[in-house]
Amino acid sequence: MNAATSEILTGVVADTLEKLAFLFAVPLEGPASVDTRELATVRVRFSGPCCGGMQLSLSRPVLAELAGNMLGADDGSALSADEQHDALRELINVICGNLLPLIGGKNAEFNIQTPFIPAGGAPGAGEFGPVNAASNLSVESGICLVALQLDGPVPAEGVGP
Amino acid sequence: MAVNVLIVDDSAVMRAMIQKTMKLSGLQLGEIHQAANGREGLELLERQWIDLVIADINMPVMTGEEMIEHMQAHPNLKTIATIVISTEGSQTRIDRLQGKGVRFIHKPFSPEMIRDTVKDVLGCEVFHERSH
Repeated sequence: MNAATSEILTGVVADTLEKLAFLFAVPLEGPASVDTRELATVRVRFSGPCCGGMQLSLSRPVLAELAGNMLGADDGSALSADEQHDALRELINVICGNLLPLIGGKNAEFNIQTPFIPAGGAPGAGEFGPVNAASNLSVESGICLVALQLDGPVPAEGVGP
Repeated sequence: MAVNVLIVDDSAVMRAMIQKTMKLSGLQLGEIHQAANGREGLELLERQWIDLVIADINMPVMTGEEMIEHMQAHPNLKTIATIVISTEGSQTRIDRLQGKGVRFIHKPFSPEMIRDTVKDVLGCEVFHERSH
């Protein structure tokens, strides 16, 4: 696990949640203990100077709040599963898009594939592959777990804002 | 003058967010059309009078960058004001888009960023007086 990349990832996730959906996140103290059935998960793959993937899992009540805030709905839980999943896909898309220049360099050109909800919708770290960086955050009344997997070494431009 | 807008993004939630922001910006809005990728966007541009295109970059079927290249090759479409709203972080790619006369807004965006960019592109006269 790369501590520097994890720190950058945490900053990007917290900043994105706040700007995209007015959700405030702080790093979890200690390991996350949660029933994975209570989490909604999304993944995305990317290619470029380095290739890899990202997985994000969010507590379902927080997902409803995320989608509600993004759409300006009074009650996010009244939104359809499709709308909530669309909000989740957009969240990981924005996080991934903002993180990659920080680890690959500001001129690096990455191609981010369309995010997808894995079968079953639950996190499966074993299926995701070895994790290079991770961020566990407390968000409102739930949690947000983000894992980054890189297929190769971090580019020479290095890690840094 | 009411402005007809085309929003091109593969995320329905993001299209709704942009549409809501446009409505709150004070822009004199005419019709708002939506497309889920560049191909659908071009098909709409062939059928509808559009004054402003707001497009994402990373989309399936046809990317925003490809759609903009098609627009620039078409005499009736190349003068349409275009704003890209994307997570794109590569300065190289952003410079390439801006070299084509396209304005760029980075996601996550604030409503003010969209309002100010639309004002820069279309001028204050397309906004209701109170928002000047």
